[in-house]
Amino acid sequence: MMYGEQTVEIGSESGNGDVRNEGFLRPLISAYSTLPLHGMTAIPGKISGALMVVDSIEDAVPLIHGPIGCAFQRKINPFRPYLPFYETPCTDMNDVDVVYGGEDKLSLGIRETYEKYHPNLIVVITTCPSDLIGDDFKAVVEEIKAKGDVGCDVVYTTGDFVGKTKPVGYQDALFAITDQVLCNGIKREEIERNEESVNIVSFPIHGAGLKVAEMVSVLNEMGIKINKICFDHTTVKDLYDLPKAELTITDYPMAWARLMKERFGVDHYEILAWNRYKETRNPELFSPYGFEGSARVFMEIAQRFGKEAEAEEVIERRKKDATERLSKVKKGLEDKEVAIMGGIHGIGMTLLRDVGIKASVIIYKTQALESRLTSEAINEMLDINVELARKYGSDPEVVVNPTIEEELKAIKETGTDLVISMGATAHKYNKEGIRTFNPMNFMLRHQRIGFEAPIELAMQLKEALKKPRKRNPLLSMLEYDPYRTNLIPEWAALADMFGTLRQGAVGDKDRYDSMYTI
Amino acid sequence: MSEIKRKETKGREGLVYDPTQDCKLVGAVRALSGVKDSITIVHARPGCHCGVLLLRALGSNQNDIRIVSSGFRAQDMVYGAEGRLAASIRLSYKNFKPSLIANLNCSAPAIMGDDVEGVIHAMKEEVPAEIFSLSTGGYEGPAWVGYEETLAELTRYMIPGEKENDKVNLIGFKQDDIRSSADLSEIERMLNGQGITINAILTNSSFEEIKNAPKASLNIVLGGDGLESAKIMQEKFDMPYVITSYPFGLNNSIDFLESVTRGLNKEVNQEFIAAEKDRIKERIERIFLFLQGIYDMSVAVVGDSARAFELAKFLSDELCLNVKVLAVTSRNLISDDKNSDSETLLIEPDRFEMNEVIKTEGVEMIFASSMEKKLAWELGVPLFRIFYPVLDEVSVSDAPYAGFKGTIHLTERIINSVINNYIEL
Repeated sequence: MMYGEQTVEIGSESGNGDVRNEGFLRPLISAYSTLPLHGMTAIPGKISGALMVVDSIEDAVPLIHGPIGCAFQRKINPFRPYLPFYETPCTDMNDVDVVYGGEDKLSLGIRETYEKYHPNLIVVITTCPSDLIGDDFKAVVEEIKAKGDVGCDVVYTTGDFVGKTKPVGYQDALFAITDQVLCNGIKREEIERNEESVNIVSFPIHGAGLKVAEMVSVLNEMGIKINKICFDHTTVKDLYDLPKAELTITDYPMAWARLMKERFGVDHYEILAWNRYKETRNPELFSPYGFEGSARVFMEIAQRFGKEAEAEEVIERRKKDATERLSKVKKGLEDKEVAIMGGIHGIGMTLLRDVGIKASVIIYKTQALESRLTSEAINEMLDINVELARKYGSDPEVVVNPTIEEELKAIKETGTDLVISMGATAHKYNKEGIRTFNPMNFMLRHQRIGFEAPIELAMQLKEALKKPRKRNPLLSMLEYDPYRTNLIPEWAALADMFGTLRQGAVGDKDRYDSMYTI
Repeated sequence: MSEIKRKETKGREGLVYDPTQDCKLVGAVRALSGVKDSITIVHARPGCHCGVLLLRALGSNQNDIRIVSSGFRAQDMVYGAEGRLAASIRLSYKNFKPSLIANLNCSAPAIMGDDVEGVIHAMKEEVPAEIFSLSTGGYEGPAWVGYEETLAELTRYMIPGEKENDKVNLIGFKQDDIRSSADLSEIERMLNGQGITINAILTNSSFEEIKNAPKASLNIVLGGDGLESAKIMQEKFDMPYVITSYPFGLNNSIDFLESVTRGLNKEVNQEFIAAEKDRIKERIERIFLFLQGIYDMSVAVVGDSARAFELAKFLSDELCLNVKVLAVTSRNLISDDKNSDSETLLIEPDRFEMNEVIKTEGVEMIFASSMEKKLAWELGVPLFRIFYPVLDEVSVSDAPYAGFKGTIHLTERIINSVINNYIEL
């Protein structure tokens, strides 16, 4: 629900987070997770995406070239509302600058930012006013660099470098860093390669493949080294090391990774590869989790290094070990059935198959998607869900845009044991005596490429099936929209309005590209 | 007023500004949000709309948002977004049936020169609601200017009426401040205790109530915010005004009532005040040991001009804490006339510079907004969230921070903020 719900930071190369935060981090993230943004009632601007990048580089500082509102308001982080961007210096553009131009201010601002913060990288983020008046950012930045006025790197991001690749601000800032710093003035042959190594680059926006400790371990066993893991206390120096790898693994297609291949020959691999899906129509490409999904991902990475044989041995061994342990853990789940929400996000069908649970109902709500995806893409998403469910032995009843009454009827008639539902709507099922499993914790902490996740899921599902029933949720006292069942009528009206007003926005409606970034 | 080490920083030192205040747009949004049957259209690129929507959703009542986008898109930067704005006005009326639709014209359409007035003129024939537009380009000024201009704009719709005795309007009240609802109840109770009733609140009233604001016999300007609208009403409707303290603490509350009654040529109901004092005394007695214990604790206050001076005064003068730093994040028209109960006074400081000052002052508690959370964490001191924006604390209970009752709640929470902490020695 929250725009681009993300996982916890991976914390260190071993993938362990800060244990002091363990107690409150999940509920803290969860408390903000029901905000109906996510393209439903609003879209974060490019500045927020760019700030996510800068914030993830420990020794970088943003400089927002614009008025104070572009700096103060953007402190509220739509991707992580619980964690504002505390440092957002700006050039304080005023009406005089709008008339006479803000280049001098930008130039002075970059120098001052360096003197004040002593960063290793300043990322100039442009804004509506500075974009519209035509300030020559490139000339200012290049002049500063040429004069050696500051002792750090400086880049500028406008949102225009990556077309409509989403999230624009995030993609654009990474592209700008790659283009203006990493690839600037360095020749491909000058790079000292870290042979047979990969970068694992994920970002705390989406839940795909961000928990990397197990992936690192498996890759190492296959003879593949880790060059860099980003963003994990990443510094500018770490970024400079990225081109040393042979392959960059990202969670979804990234413009900067393509640029690095173009300039330095560093290949890229996407865990969620809709480009390949377009060619093959293989729904498994949207399902990288569980035993089979993870095995496929590891094998595909190994193929890039000609290490299929090593990979086969490692994958089989790991899978066998995990399967044996899972078979003990999943006892009692075999005859259970769950209702799931359709879509790309959520717990993958392959994981459910691994733990021996069948999908009895797929509830598919398209209202939130209609302004962002074409109807073909919406239908195709549903087809992917249903096809995978059937492939893995389920025969679910599919209900599209049901009222809550229709949902409950389908759930009850199919004898469903558990509804996999986020906190926003769980009370509706609980009130009817139906248990729910909030997948947030699993998705944030456990869902990953690897063979351990199914075991952890089985344990969590068993716990959910044992939980005391909750029959009197206070949330049930409220009146909700009949279709957007998580929203009260005012928010539903806001969402409807927003969807209507955004209709036809160029680049908003993609057949596939928005599937995962929405 | 403490004159120990008053150090004014009237402007920040350099050009680069990590702001402690928002832009004109947010000031306007805050004012309009208190017009209970209005809709605010943010005519801007998505970031501005998303920002104010988040401010509203995280910082006030989640069932009362009333902020919509005009759907401004990238290609509109070339062709204009007048059609989008018209559609937004139309849909706003269709979905919410507001009495007032306010369009806030942000940086992009303002620079592009969208004919917003033309759109509004055309839509007035189609939509049976008042519609107006304000220019709120980010480069046009800070939030308090947007707030003043919006209240001033609302006076245009006011209609002259026969004045009713002992009825007042509250100006400068912001319903998205933390505990605002409880504060308002307490302020109303205090006024009622003097035989005074509230006519309209700028802003926490319906558009109709605001239009009838001239029926009151006095305007109360809380902390100086909204003064411009009070001046206009004085000129247009012969309505006097008094500027009062925001009633934080016992003495600010008494000052508040004395100013209002003086403005209405009424005697103060001293019995009411005496009873309130007795109640406070009885409660203070219950916790006097802790109150003695926190005596002279060093604190920083970081907040807006209308309320920060008054809070600092209460903390310094009544709880006898040591206000080391008072950082006024945004001015208003009377900021320069206010006295500071602090050792160091910063006016609209750069956040980086402000943090450096607070870090060096040995502060043991910070009274500020959610934006000072990291600073408080770095210093290892409690953060008392009391100034806008508060985005990480909800307030739906009836415990005010303002007024006589607020004196008790503030004191209770301050002591608890200290003694709740876990430490290892």
